[in-house]
Amino acid sequence: MPAQGGHSCDTSRAYLQLKGHELKKLTTIIAASSLLLAGCAPADQAATKVTLVAHDSFAISDESIAQFQEASGFELEIIRAGDSGSLTNRLVLTKDSPIADVVFGIDNTFRGIADENGIIEGELVAVDYADVCFNYDRVWFEERNITPPASWRDLTRPAYNSLTVVTNPLSSSPGLAFLATTVAAFGEPSFEQYWKELRDNGVMVASGWEDAYFTYFSGSSGNGEYPIVLSYSSSPAAEIRDDGKSQTAALLDECFRQTEFVGTLAGASNPEGAKALVEFLLSESFQNTMPGLMYVYPVNEKAVIPAEWSEFGPPARSNIGEDLSIATHREKWQTKWSAIFD
Amino acid sequence: MRSGRPSGQQSLIRKLFWAIPLTFVAVLFYWPIAKITSLGFSGDWLATLSEPKSLEVIWFTLWQAAISTLVTLVIAIPGAYLLYRKSFAGQRFIKALITVPFVLPSIVVAVGFTVFRNVHDFWIELGLTFLSDPVYWIIAAHVFVNYSIAVRTIGGVWAGLDTEIDEAAELDGAGRLRSLLSISLPQLRPAVFSAAALVFLFSATSFGIVLVLGGGQVQTIETAIYFSATQFLDLEAAAALVFIQTLITATAFLVGSSLAKGTVGLEQVFEGNRKPRVDRRDWPASVLTAGIVLGLLVMPMLLVLVEAFKVGDGWGLTNFANLGTRGARDLLNISVIDAAANSLRNMVVASFIAFVLGTLISWLLVRTKQKLLDLVFLVPLGVSSVVLGFGFLVSFDSDWFPLRSSWLIVPMAQALIALPMVIRLVYPALVSIGKEPIEQASLDGASSWQIWRFVESGMIKGVLFTAAGYAAIISVGEFGASSFLAYGSEGTIPTLLFRLIARPGEQNYGMAMAVSAILIVFVLSVMLLLSRYSKTRQA
Repeated sequence: MPAQGGHSCDTSRAYLQLKGHELKKLTTIIAASSLLLAGCAPADQAATKVTLVAHDSFAISDESIAQFQEASGFELEIIRAGDSGSLTNRLVLTKDSPIADVVFGIDNTFRGIADENGIIEGELVAVDYADVCFNYDRVWFEERNITPPASWRDLTRPAYNSLTVVTNPLSSSPGLAFLATTVAAFGEPSFEQYWKELRDNGVMVASGWEDAYFTYFSGSSGNGEYPIVLSYSSSPAAEIRDDGKSQTAALLDECFRQTEFVGTLAGASNPEGAKALVEFLLSESFQNTMPGLMYVYPVNEKAVIPAEWSEFGPPARSNIGEDLSIATHREKWQTKWSAIFD
Repeated sequence: MRSGRPSGQQSLIRKLFWAIPLTFVAVLFYWPIAKITSLGFSGDWLATLSEPKSLEVIWFTLWQAAISTLVTLVIAIPGAYLLYRKSFAGQRFIKALITVPFVLPSIVVAVGFTVFRNVHDFWIELGLTFLSDPVYWIIAAHVFVNYSIAVRTIGGVWAGLDTEIDEAAELDGAGRLRSLLSISLPQLRPAVFSAAALVFLFSATSFGIVLVLGGGQVQTIETAIYFSATQFLDLEAAAALVFIQTLITATAFLVGSSLAKGTVGLEQVFEGNRKPRVDRRDWPASVLTAGIVLGLLVMPMLLVLVEAFKVGDGWGLTNFANLGTRGARDLLNISVIDAAANSLRNMVVASFIAFVLGTLISWLLVRTKQKLLDLVFLVPLGVSSVVLGFGFLVSFDSDWFPLRSSWLIVPMAQALIALPMVIRLVYPALVSIGKEPIEQASLDGASSWQIWRFVESGMIKGVLFTAAGYAAIISVGEFGASSFLAYGSEGTIPTLLFRLIARPGEQNYGMAMAVSAILIVFVLSVMLLLSRYSKTRQA
């Protein structure tokens, strides 16, 4: 493959062929500026470097990076490009000249967009999953002798008035996942009725998951005021207290499963490095680190899941909404949701 | 006339000189705009625009810009009066101080108002619920940013007006308000219109402030373009909105510049006349202006400075120490220090290009009667940085012009954004020199280059200096285009700041405060230095 930028250097040379003694200075300026414009940088880095573009929640240990670089011989560069949606869309907008070799973190919500636009070479491969489930503060309910909800469908009941915090489906991916959950459960347009009841029952809407979980939720470090929060099935494993028990528990029925994928980008400048990187991300050694770093379940069956996860943060008992074509309907659902909450 | 006409050779060179800026705007402005247009107009864009959602966004953009403009002008008039028509101790300091908000990166303003809003929770609980409406804060932030530009534009003209009529009216017993309404305002009309057009333009294209303070609930055309393109991949909607936005800004600009004449409020103001001191009858203007300067301009900045040193429940320098890190859970791709290096590098490249090209264009415009050429460079004035970022993102990826894979794409976009500002400053200055000195030098046998080098550039040195400074400031604070183009290791201070403030968490919040505090102190120091510099020059 020719080095990028090579062509533009040729075109600028054409300017230099202009004749005329008086114009020499001028042509030099034009040539120099067009060189500048075209960004004629030496571009042979492609062979030694492999670039991964990922969502903001991607995390990797320094040991893993070193391990990959040593085994493959490629230097690893990581670009974080927003949430899963922004990431996918950016890749579509830049598909003619991809910004990286490998993508991590397109999820099942956006997979359709990635496929439609042909941004992936070959196929996306599942790399991890997480279940979006409600969590509740066990201790809060015990202290007040109130029965915790059994399902998210109970949250519209008066007993749980002003106890729940969800995340905004316009700006957060678990929020969108839960919106899709309600569409899957009630169908259109009935899901709107559920949200109206939820609103009338004093639900709190936080803009993102971190806000909801760390600021408003009573069962985590923020000691907020809401004992029920939209989070993940694995979250209680991070809230184990001195007595060896988790302060929180998850409602494990009818959760939305977010599956995340990796893949080589079509037109990647380092396909060989890309292949090695995808293999590495699916390997046992990297997958072992995923629960601890990203709070997700690895897809590799050989990967070790921490003991406290199987006890306090198991996957959901049942899932819902996976077959919805979310990317295509999302905007419509969000508009309806906004109409209720404005 | 012997001197009026350049020789054949000179005119050839001049034509070739035209080629440089023309190529620059053709490739970097008209091409991306054409590309966006081709993306969007393949579909039914009229239908897209008439959707209630689009109409709501367009309407909000217009009315918030109108309110921001109105409020800014009303409070700027007494400010201009006190700062340019009267004298008092500390006037120079206040002038420098009120310029800081205009020069601060918009994202820092947004950070400042995020903090400012939080201290109002108390009032909201007392029942002033309108304070929880993001619209209120967006408008307040726009007034905060634009106050100084309105004060300077109006004050600059006011300073030059005759004081005799005022004094005569005073002798006849007219109060301050009456002489303002019946004598001063009619004379200030062009300046007021000029200020109004600028404030409207800035408020209608404001991006970072609406993005942060609106939190996705309140959208203007700018943020709607951003969300349509990056969140919904709805290029048709984005392109249709680009079209409307460009229409609105171009109209505002053209209407403004035809109603107003001359000054844009950025250049140094001549204040030769001895100004009377503030007296007792100025108390309404003094109280109002003091209230605005302290309550609206100083408070948000002061709060950021305080927050920057807050660590948990105590005080310390942890937030500053964290600037070497990449935030909680490595949220950032690079550290703030690396981003500062990127911002500085972009600033040097962008301001150099904008300055050289803008000066060249102004120089050429003075020497041509071609109105069409004027228009070619005028149109980019109306374009917003978000539009440009979006256009660059989808345009420059072909094999033979791979600008997008180079870091140069960000400073190139910034140069194009700063270019109009340079032209707006340099062109009127060159016009004001008049033909005589140039014709004289030309008669003496000086070449165009010599005339520029020894006559013109010397006469407008102050303006050239200001223009280069503003180009640098625009580059450092630019956020809209960078939010599309500067990702990964190319992040700039504003893009990092946005990520920090958009993500909760004590460490990220603290880092955002620390960066903002540094920028506020830096900008204030520069402004104070500049005001000292102009003082020594005037003396």
